[in-house]
Amino acid sequence: MKKLSASYLPLILGLVVLGIPACSKKAAVRSGGDAQAFQEEMARGKGGAAKEGVSSSFPDTSFSGRDGSNGLRGLDRNPSEERLGGAGGNAGASSGAGHSNVMTAKADAGSAARQLAEIRAEQIASATAGLRDVFFAYDSFSITDEGRQALHGDAEWARSNPATQLKVEGHCDERGTSAYNLVLGEKRAKAVRNYLVELGVTPAHLSVVSYGKERPFCTEHSESCYSQNRRGHLVVTTGK
Amino acid sequence: MMFRVAVFISLCVSIGVVWIIESGAADVFLEAARPDFQKIPLGIAGIENLGGSETPEGRVKPGTRIEEVLKADLRRSQVFALVDLPSLGIKVGHLGAEPDPSFKQAAEKGVSVIAWGKAGINSGSKDTDLSMDGYVYDTGSHEVVGGKRYVGSTSVARLMAHRFADELVFRYTGEPGIARTKIAYVSELGTARELFVMDYDGYDPRQLTADGFLNLMPRWSPDRRFLVFTTYRNRNTQDIDMIELATGKRWTLVSQGGLNITPVLSPDGNSLAYSSSHEGNAELYRLDTRTKATQRLTTHASGDLSPSWSPSGRELAFTSDRSGGPQIFLMSADGSNVRRLTFDGDYNAAPVWSPRGNWIAYVCRTPKKEYKLCVITPDGQKHLQLTTGLGVDDSPSWSPDGRHLVFSSTVEGKSQIYMINVDGKDLERITFTGTHNSAPSWSPAS
Repeated sequence: MKKLSASYLPLILGLVVLGIPACSKKAAVRSGGDAQAFQEEMARGKGGAAKEGVSSSFPDTSFSGRDGSNGLRGLDRNPSEERLGGAGGNAGASSGAGHSNVMTAKADAGSAARQLAEIRAEQIASATAGLRDVFFAYDSFSITDEGRQALHGDAEWARSNPATQLKVEGHCDERGTSAYNLVLGEKRAKAVRNYLVELGVTPAHLSVVSYGKERPFCTEHSESCYSQNRRGHLVVTTGK
Repeated sequence: MMFRVAVFISLCVSIGVVWIIESGAADVFLEAARPDFQKIPLGIAGIENLGGSETPEGRVKPGTRIEEVLKADLRRSQVFALVDLPSLGIKVGHLGAEPDPSFKQAAEKGVSVIAWGKAGINSGSKDTDLSMDGYVYDTGSHEVVGGKRYVGSTSVARLMAHRFADELVFRYTGEPGIARTKIAYVSELGTARELFVMDYDGYDPRQLTADGFLNLMPRWSPDRRFLVFTTYRNRNTQDIDMIELATGKRWTLVSQGGLNITPVLSPDGNSLAYSSSHEGNAELYRLDTRTKATQRLTTHASGDLSPSWSPSGRELAFTSDRSGGPQIFLMSADGSNVRRLTFDGDYNAAPVWSPRGNWIAYVCRTPKKEYKLCVITPDGQKHLQLTTGLGVDDSPSWSPDGRHLVFSSTVEGKSQIYMINVDGKDLERITFTGTHNSAPSWSPAS
């Protein structure tokens, strides 16, 4: 009987809320002009602050809580017409705010093409230099004997090319969480960087970046693939 | 008096509830959230097609489409149990605005609510508009208690169903419903990973970024206007950016070298917690979004990452490998009172605190070295594994009603996005295209 009585609750609640008229939230109006200007800004470079550190100018994200309307108007015995905005416009007249007010990015072919060209240039420069990767055991960021051997060759090249900037990328296999693999990838990259410094490479010529499991070398779900993805990858940086 | 009537109606209905729902299926998790919650038996008496027009979505008529989406929404709501009306001798289809006489028997057959409607293209008006009328009948009071009339372009058929579903959930629970919520996620385009937003059921994906490189781990602002995420400036340094969904406008919040990952705004929007290695190794920081002051929360030689706010904003769950492998820890939002939460297994990461506060979901590594979803109570007393099988599960995120989780999994090969109930039932895949979809983040309710 106790079990029964608790199941009234939703119905009672339903009847209680019946009399409360829900008010509609004012829908956000999308500005096409702003979006256009933003795309142009993106094409030139990156929007927003570009300085080091923590930005001092971004919009207020404070949130005082839901206003109780939930954007819903409630059921009505004589319902008035609700016009719903949808894909491609009419958002201003919409009571469905939150559905239609998502801007769709225009594919920025320029940015993607520039990134690809720079990645290719780096790959060619790294291959020409004969730089070798370092591979790691599962969950590990210790450099193996084989890895040390590879890094001796890499360090020699770096010392004889002092004008060159090298980037050490830390990569992981797909197992584990995306976030923790970014931390692991950084540990791997730093282990490689530190060993290169031990071998006499100027620290200022070395940078590290972790790609975690986000840029795998191969994508099969097998140990032979995983072992190739757990790597410290040395790249000759050709751009900025 | 009103109250007594309500109790009387509910009594009639509840006898039916027990009668029609398979008992014993009541799940542990819902009981924890709402003691003895029983789903409300609801029947859909059809959304009739008017005029014979078709939606551009396919060859399916709008009423048929709306009915299909509405039923899926109501099933996912976990508030209603869908009842098959024809098998109870209750008429479905060809109904006007008035209830069919057969509805009179619904209450004694255990049905609490009957909803139906009609939809079609209004060819008479200047614009070609889709309209839908919906009606809700309460079997206890034997009357139509309310309805809705929606009008919009033919592209909003799904939205009409979602809004009608949320109105039903709102009416019977006072909760806003989740059918109009969104999921932000990361999708692979060539060698790049860009941010997208889709409806909670996987439809209507919209691309938000087109950088040509990596954008990772989006999280919603509590007011649903923004996403915060990690982006790679010039492919070499990780910044934390914020994007406004309505305009696509973007701001860099944190740019300081090193790893800058797992940003998440507090429930009041006044603090951004994130992990950064700019002072050495990955530590947790808190950025006051009004004063722009930063505060370091952790000081440890090991990695600290993946902060998640408790619903009150007073505590944070996070991942730390200070005890060897990654484990879940809790602390106060000022960095004090750090204590370890997980002790089972040697890999527990990516904690997310449920909106109801009663569970923390995370990725656990099983004895078979599979990465699966687990949940644990914040006092550590109860913990359970939710998913099983092969593949790597990652990035759990709660629905705003606390009844579902969305996550990525490689269970079928490529990383795709799935939804599951907190009782481990109703696993549902929601992305089907592309080579890689990951890092889902469920929006707050509207």
